[in-house]
Amino acid sequence: MAHYQPPKQGKASQLIDVVVLVVLTVGALFVPLWLNMAGAAKSVTNPATAATWEALGQTPAQAAKYEALGYTPETAHDLILARFDYSFSVGALVTMIAVILLYYFLILRFSEVEYREVISEKFGE
Amino acid sequence: MADVDITSQTMDGMGPHGTKVGLLRVLGPAHVWALGVGIVLVGEYMGWNFAVGKGGAYAALIACWFAGILYSCVAMIDSEVTSTVASAGGQYTQAKHIIGPLMAFNVGLYLVFAYTMLEAANAITAGYLFSVVAQMTGHAGELDQRPFIILVIMFLAWLNYRGVLATLTFNLVITAVAFLAIIVLFLSTSGILGGGIMDHAALFEGHELPYGWIGVLAAMHFGLWYYLGIEGTTQAAEEVRSPARALPFGTLAGIMTLLIAATLTWYVCSGVLPWEFLGDGVNGSVAPLFDTARLSGSNALVWLLGFGTLFATLASANGCINDASRAWFAMGRDKYLPGWFGAVHPRYRTPYRAIVFLVPIALIFALGAPLDQVITFSILSGLLGYTFMPLNIILFRRKWPLETIKRGYEHPFHPIPAITLLTLCGVTFFAVFLGYGTQLVAMIGFYIVVSLWFHFWRYRFVNRGAQFTMPWPKPRGY
Amino acid sequence: MDLWNWLEYGAWGLSALLGLHMLVDWLRTDSTYSEDVLTSSREGEIEALAEQHKAKEAQHG
Repeated sequence: MAHYQPPKQGKASQLIDVVVLVVLTVGALFVPLWLNMAGAAKSVTNPATAATWEALGQTPAQAAKYEALGYTPETAHDLILARFDYSFSVGALVTMIAVILLYYFLILRFSEVEYREVISEKFGE
Repeated sequence: MADVDITSQTMDGMGPHGTKVGLLRVLGPAHVWALGVGIVLVGEYMGWNFAVGKGGAYAALIACWFAGILYSCVAMIDSEVTSTVASAGGQYTQAKHIIGPLMAFNVGLYLVFAYTMLEAANAITAGYLFSVVAQMTGHAGELDQRPFIILVIMFLAWLNYRGVLATLTFNLVITAVAFLAIIVLFLSTSGILGGGIMDHAALFEGHELPYGWIGVLAAMHFGLWYYLGIEGTTQAAEEVRSPARALPFGTLAGIMTLLIAATLTWYVCSGVLPWEFLGDGVNGSVAPLFDTARLSGSNALVWLLGFGTLFATLASANGCINDASRAWFAMGRDKYLPGWFGAVHPRYRTPYRAIVFLVPIALIFALGAPLDQVITFSILSGLLGYTFMPLNIILFRRKWPLETIKRGYEHPFHPIPAITLLTLCGVTFFAVFLGYGTQLVAMIGFYIVVSLWFHFWRYRFVNRGAQFTMPWPKPRGY
Repeated sequence: MDLWNWLEYGAWGLSALLGLHMLVDWLRTDSTYSEDVLTSSREGEIEALAEQHKAKEAQHG
């Protein structure tokens, strides 16, 4: 079997490849941030009625720790009461599973094609 | 490959002996341990506490132990494969020989991103630490953290540029100090030496599982942070004196160290800091061990843990630069990336172009993105890598059964670790989905796009048969 | 201006210096050696190289 001879890549083409990769990488992190779709923000849904440690649901022992850290019931209010929202839609979960499976299917499939070529060239007939 | 004439006048005295320039074999098992633990130990000093915020203190402990199981599987599987595939690319080279080029390209990118993001997170933490120290020593106004963030990255890149032995010896020393600091903090706050300040029962009262069991699942996301990066030991493979022995030894000793450190850290911090404060790594406790020391009332402990935190971030960023650049270099060498990156410095014998290239990338993320996002990006890349490992070991054992290749280390109970690992990865994907579903999809979208780019464009520059470099027999079934 | 302001400037300066050092060394290395030598490292060949190195040393010694 004839061995595959890769073309030699020029300087400009190498540079373009690097730029493409960097743009994609930076995009993957920053686009969700810019679109404000990066989840996981906590929010206070049940504000306390009074500015006391009891109203924040803290026992005296716990309140003592907060005071040692330099907090007052006012300054600790958001820190203590903010909660994550773990509700999700089944549709979103199914989409995520589908995307992950598609991804692994894709790379394993293409890898296998490329791998057979490598093995047949390496171990020759 | 160019034939280099060793009698040539223009090329005389180039490489090690006038021929070729490769990486230098100078490291021992202790360096492997330092590389593995050094990258990870910062996870005990910051970041793991987001798991507390996700589900409460108990959830963080459960996540710590399940993540510990996940990483024990990672370490065992990795040790077996890497004891036969000793190359600077680490898992990238494993994937190339066992699954195929596209998988290898993806794995290489996982490595580079997991480490570069972790490096950025470390630099952010170091910058924060400088600002706290400035405040404590009476600096008026806000300290500008940027020059310190940049200095951390620049200094470590420079150290890496100048040679691997000094880099990892530096890591060995500061990692040991950071680890001892955790032990000392545990001994002096738990009541073993002097009066204890632990108060678990009172602090947990009424907040045992604030989110119920779904919080435990959600905590798995940041549970990985206790150990993320231990798999990086394999990147030292071309620079270790006897890889078949030192790599499994260093990796397994590393995971044991981390299991101890992680549990002690959880115990110390959750017994002193209330969970809402501990669990908020942005507005609350950025550096939980350091905050614990501040509440201990001992100035010596504050300084020790302050230095411990700084050393841990430096050790981690240092190891990350080392590993990310090795992976980038290995991909350049195979033309998976432009071949220009496959260069070794003739004097320092380091992949210098990869090191320099990754500096601005790390800076973009360290200066431009919030800490939990950067950590999530790193965790996601790591997670994709761990999902690859069970596939890798199953195919490895199938294509080359035990009797066909001699392994330096054979992991026991195959395929139980592989199946356990795959299951835990599935759980963690769900945990990430709960908080950061958009990033998860964006990230996988990114990998799908680059995979297509690689398969249909980039792969044409790759030499087909020559990239299979291990002296192995033909795989079964081909 | 207190100590920390000076440290800020120091950090900027030192970063620039280290960056510059890497940049200069990099450019100098690239112009001194040919590309073929710099990219001559190959996966899996390192073991053989190390042995060749020992053999050479033995000859010279």
